[in-house]
Amino acid sequence: MSKLTTTGLTKAFSGLVAVNDVSFNMEEGEILGIIGPNGAGKTTFIHLVSGILMPTSGRIEFKGKDITYAPAHERSRLGIARTYQLIHPLENLKVVENVMIGSVFSRGKSLKEARKAAEAICAELELDRLQRDTAQLSILEIKKMEIARALANEPEVLFLDEVMAGLNSDETKQVIATVQRIARERRMAVGVVEHVMGVIRELTQRVIVLEAGELIAEGPYETVSKNPRVIEAYLGGAA
Amino acid sequence: MKLKTSYIAAAVIAAVAVASPAFLGAYPLNVARSVMTYMALAISWDMLLRSGQISFGIAGLFGLGAYASALAVLRGGMDPFLSIVFAAAFAGVMAFALGFAILRLRAMYFSITTLALMEIFRIVMHNLDDFSGGPEGVVLPEVIFGGNSSALYWLCLGGLLITIGASWFFEKSKMHLALTAIRNDETSARSSGVDIFKYLLIAFVVTSTMQGMMGAIQVQSYGFTTPETAFDGNFTLLPLAMALLGGVHSTIGPMAGAVLLGIASEWLKLQIPYGHLIVYGVIIILVILFMPQGLVGMARRMIRAGREAGAGK
Repeated sequence: MSKLTTTGLTKAFSGLVAVNDVSFNMEEGEILGIIGPNGAGKTTFIHLVSGILMPTSGRIEFKGKDITYAPAHERSRLGIARTYQLIHPLENLKVVENVMIGSVFSRGKSLKEARKAAEAICAELELDRLQRDTAQLSILEIKKMEIARALANEPEVLFLDEVMAGLNSDETKQVIATVQRIARERRMAVGVVEHVMGVIRELTQRVIVLEAGELIAEGPYETVSKNPRVIEAYLGGAA
Repeated sequence: MKLKTSYIAAAVIAAVAVASPAFLGAYPLNVARSVMTYMALAISWDMLLRSGQISFGIAGLFGLGAYASALAVLRGGMDPFLSIVFAAAFAGVMAFALGFAILRLRAMYFSITTLALMEIFRIVMHNLDDFSGGPEGVVLPEVIFGGNSSALYWLCLGGLLITIGASWFFEKSKMHLALTAIRNDETSARSSGVDIFKYLLIAFVVTSTMQGMMGAIQVQSYGFTTPETAFDGNFTLLPLAMALLGGVHSTIGPMAGAVLLGIASEWLKLQIPYGHLIVYGVIIILVILFMPQGLVGMARRMIRAGREAGAGK
């Protein structure tokens, strides 16, 4: 079943078209890679579908419902969650509170229920000592906390925007395994933005490639990575 | 154990506060009322600050409450006590309506606008001669409770307790998560389902209601007001200094700051009648420079450092 669909999605920043006429869909239980060179519009695309930015034109549907202009907090309640490329810890809240807020505000749980849910999610991600301040966390722990916070929304669609950046290879493997397991268990659609192609190859069933805001290729990683247009986009038009 | 101690301490303080009129004279009771009024304003200012919004409009809502209460009695023949409830609600409704416009602003744009609102309210009261009494202000036919100093004290204490209760609720409920998330990172907050505008509006309406209520209590306790006394800049400046001195983002911080600075201000008024405001200004600057967490923040750090040193042994 199609979870998230965009049709002709476009975002222009006064002349600069960051996302140009992108149509795509995400299926239940699918892990989708979103790749492209720097400045291709990957993060802007996630901003659009998560409601942080409003599109210039086009349409976004979540399970057939038009959410093109729905505010971000409503999409979070509907079941679209995300992490950020640049970390966004809430530094005046404890780790457990950082994770809880999704349960409280997206799922309407009581503080007590939300705390329980947060503890369960953190246990799953092997994140402990939840009474700490976020300032005491390592970068891996902050990334885990942000994934936990997104999962606390109990999303049906989850976007991970470069969560592996800054992690070493062991940590990356650990996060990959966790994402795979959670996506499988919860039948979530997961969109992964990543520059490390090894991660994309291992994690995703399908990728879309953006370049200068346009969708230039789509398909399994093995096929897409041999596509001449994709190679040119990554290596530049030097040849 | 720690929890129990703090509950006992709170109970003792509350008992002493309630019983004060039995052993305090008229002047100390008057000072206590002034301190309690400022304390309630400081707490209410801090409650909105927890969302990151710095209001300079405390005196505006305070004066609005004062005038709403006074005019309800004078022009509408309302019962004085009921007029306090009315004035609090009036300030809340005004905040609700204004909130739709100004809560879209952030940082200094919000602050400056709240400051401007206060001036607008004052100028309106100044110029609505027929209705508000103009620059001469209004004189009520009588002071509430016949001016009984114990009753006035308890009335003010009641207003303060309502404010403390609201602040405590903000600390213990999901308001705490919502406001802190908004203050730290609005983008994260939105992504976690926090309806930012809704929670800002709740905080603005609740704190404005408290400020209006304290203004109404003040005017009913003194029996008169003028635009210059009701919208006195002190009602913005002092609560702000108190909350900063005591420590922001908590209930206890503004309370501690209000006791210290409130009593100090009474003494300063006698020592330097025309210069005591300078002292507040200096306090604000010093606290921001050297003690941004305030006294309570400093105490917490010292306790934590002590514990860590103890644990290290």
